[in-house]
Amino acid sequence: METLLAITSIMFFPAGISLILGGMLYEWADRKLVARFQNRIGPRWFQPLADTIKLLSKEEIEPLGVNRALFFGLPVLALAGALTAALYVPIFGLRPAHSFSGDLIVTLYLLSLLTMCTGLAGWNSASRFSIVGATRTLTQLFAYEAPFLLALLGPAMAADSWQISRIVDYTQTHWMIVLQPVGFVIALIGLMGKLELPPFDAPEAETEIVAGALTEYSGRGLALFHIGKSVEMVVGVTLVTAFYLGGIGNPLFFLAKTLGLLLVMAFLQSVLVRLRIDQTVGMWWRAGAILALLQILALIVLK
Amino acid sequence: MNTEARLQRAKEILAPFTKETLTPESNRVDIVIDAADLTQATAALKAADWGYLSAITGLDLGPEAGSLEAIYHFCDAAAVTSLRVRLPREGQPEIASVADQVPVASFYERELSEMLGVIVVGTPDPTHLFLPDDWPEGVFPNRRDFKIEDAAPVERDVPKVPEQGRVGNKFIVPIGPQHPALKEPGHFEFAVDGEIITGARMRLGYVHRGIEKATEQRNWIQNLYLLERICGICSHTHTSAYAQGAEKLAQVEVPMRALAIRELVAGLERIHSHLLWLGVVAHEAGFDTLFMYSWRDRETVMNLLEELTGNRVNYSISVLGGVKQDIGPEQSKSIHKAMDYLEERIRYYLDVVTSDAMFLQRTRGIGTMTRDEAILYGALGPTARASGLERDVRVDAPYGAYGKFPVSLITDERGDLEAKFVVRLKELLVSCFTIRTIVDNLPAGELAVRFPRKVPAGETVSRVEAPRGEAFYFIKSEGGESPTRIKIRTPSLCNWTSVINKAVGHQLADMPMMISGMDPCFSCNDRMVTVRRKDDSQTMTWAQLRAYGIEKYKSR
Repeated sequence: METLLAITSIMFFPAGISLILGGMLYEWADRKLVARFQNRIGPRWFQPLADTIKLLSKEEIEPLGVNRALFFGLPVLALAGALTAALYVPIFGLRPAHSFSGDLIVTLYLLSLLTMCTGLAGWNSASRFSIVGATRTLTQLFAYEAPFLLALLGPAMAADSWQISRIVDYTQTHWMIVLQPVGFVIALIGLMGKLELPPFDAPEAETEIVAGALTEYSGRGLALFHIGKSVEMVVGVTLVTAFYLGGIGNPLFFLAKTLGLLLVMAFLQSVLVRLRIDQTVGMWWRAGAILALLQILALIVLK
Repeated sequence: MNTEARLQRAKEILAPFTKETLTPESNRVDIVIDAADLTQATAALKAADWGYLSAITGLDLGPEAGSLEAIYHFCDAAAVTSLRVRLPREGQPEIASVADQVPVASFYERELSEMLGVIVVGTPDPTHLFLPDDWPEGVFPNRRDFKIEDAAPVERDVPKVPEQGRVGNKFIVPIGPQHPALKEPGHFEFAVDGEIITGARMRLGYVHRGIEKATEQRNWIQNLYLLERICGICSHTHTSAYAQGAEKLAQVEVPMRALAIRELVAGLERIHSHLLWLGVVAHEAGFDTLFMYSWRDRETVMNLLEELTGNRVNYSISVLGGVKQDIGPEQSKSIHKAMDYLEERIRYYLDVVTSDAMFLQRTRGIGTMTRDEAILYGALGPTARASGLERDVRVDAPYGAYGKFPVSLITDERGDLEAKFVVRLKELLVSCFTIRTIVDNLPAGELAVRFPRKVPAGETVSRVEAPRGEAFYFIKSEGGESPTRIKIRTPSLCNWTSVINKAVGHQLADMPMMISGMDPCFSCNDRMVTVRRKDDSQTMTWAQLRAYGIEKYKSR
């Protein structure tokens, strides 16, 4: 029974299939909202699913001069990383499937795995656009990663635990957005950087480098990366909502809060202009990192 | 200084080299010089700061006359000085390059040598600009005895981009002819060191249609519709420039009402073009919201054009001798209504591009071109005006109805991308104002007068300010039903030099915006040669194409 439950929790619910479908729904909500902000009609609700099915049924082209194992292995690893991260996070407002002391750090590194895989995949593709894109992806990772980590560390320090479920218990009663507003802004913008959403879409700026690191990917590989990204979106939005917007509470209420966060993100995506990679890095280190550090300092002093 | 004084001064400057002086038109002198004197004559004009090189026309006088002519047109406000160099048709027609003095001449010289077979000695890049790489040697399409059968493709070694794109530590990033950033077929190679550009090259001519050559086989009226199709954005510019030149040669006096309607449509076309540009550059910057909004508002002007002319793209309002459609009270009402909406939106965009902090990060101080550089590179149109260079044919040499309904000149001193936005958007406000004025004060009179079937022999230069810059037409007639030669220097070709020269040292991420910043038009640039091969199975006759179309439609 125990094993069956574990398998169910990994394959179907809350992780696995339902998480992937949830990711597509979030992706649709994001695309639809951005479209409405931009005065467009936007996709129908099943469009991300249709895209995925189409990609999965397409031929996968392997470019010359790539390391085969890496080329086909990286998309799987990226998706696996994102799905594993979901196990430690209260997805859809449910209790995390697994929990141990220090799982926050593990989750954050599992989330970065996707970015690392994207960068490596670009480097491995041996195409000019991919290499420039990979360089930008990894450069950007070093820009937002530290401030994002520090921003999530704020609630952890307040809750005196590095275990996600403990922190969530604490934030249930303490709205961190009020107590640590700076952290919330950095976490939200850091999440947009992690997801390479505008204005942090320089790594996949289509007008310069086609699709960036994933230019050479097609078919299944591309689909896996896309699914990984959608899952990462769910995990990221869930984490930020649970940490800063009053914990989990009622799952339905929690879902509404994540969608509210998505609305804010879609709005930011619509009104902001893409930053050049040097501007992205400059902004994170000149403002983001310093503000996050100041907040941590304030926390230590006030405690 | 008025036009006569300018022409007088040009004659004085060029006196030491002059072999023969012709005055074909009141605003133009045509000075015949020796090929050996060309560089010195150009230097003299340049030293005296007399105008800019607007175009080089290559003429073939035919095998009987046995000579070629290269005509260098310099423009200074309304005055035009043509330096005419006669060259032997047989053997080695050689001429010295002036590209070291006038960088933009490099493009015109490449065109001259590949189209007419003039050897330009010392031109910086003698490779093909327009013709395909597999074009046979010694076949020149603009010569009178050119036959399409001679143009069968040949095998030739063409320098290719290195397969892996690596040259030492540097990468060559190719952009185009197929690239998501470029919806149109041009090819650019940027050598990058990290994100910084260290070199740039370009190649055009992927969609040649041979329009210049085709004009020689059609009559005067047919050409109007052919030339309208040079560009899908400034189609009216081309019909205006052509009609204006043909009417001048035929000595037809066009009624003022027709000229005013032409100016009105030109104003609407400018709004359409600049709003399109605004969207494109916003998209290059990754600001898709502005892109969507400006293209939505552009629909207003497109619908208005459809209402006035019946067409959204090739308006086809001009005919030789006048215009086709009138503007009545109902149309003026819709024009005013559309202008109310557009003026409000344009003011809003002007506010966005000058105050949005993140957008300014991408435009302020990027690709700055000083006034001196703009003069050196021969920039024209809004690209030049954004660098404080006061060049606008509508103001300098008022043609058509621009004398009666003048426009004000917009310039900006800064020369960066932001200035280009400001100049273009302010020009739109001017256009809106002019359109309202014309609608309210439309002169009474006929719409069109009769245009003769045959046009008297002569040569004329016709210049029109397109949304992107100056369109230059050289039209030559020998008294027949079709023109002998039409040379078109399209509005954006002259601005490439500035972009290619300014690219080095900028970031790769800025390049799409910088290229779009000059509003490049590929249909502008590619229009010279019929690339139809004799063994090309895709060649269809009109009847075949029609049958194919009907078949395709039925089997849907």
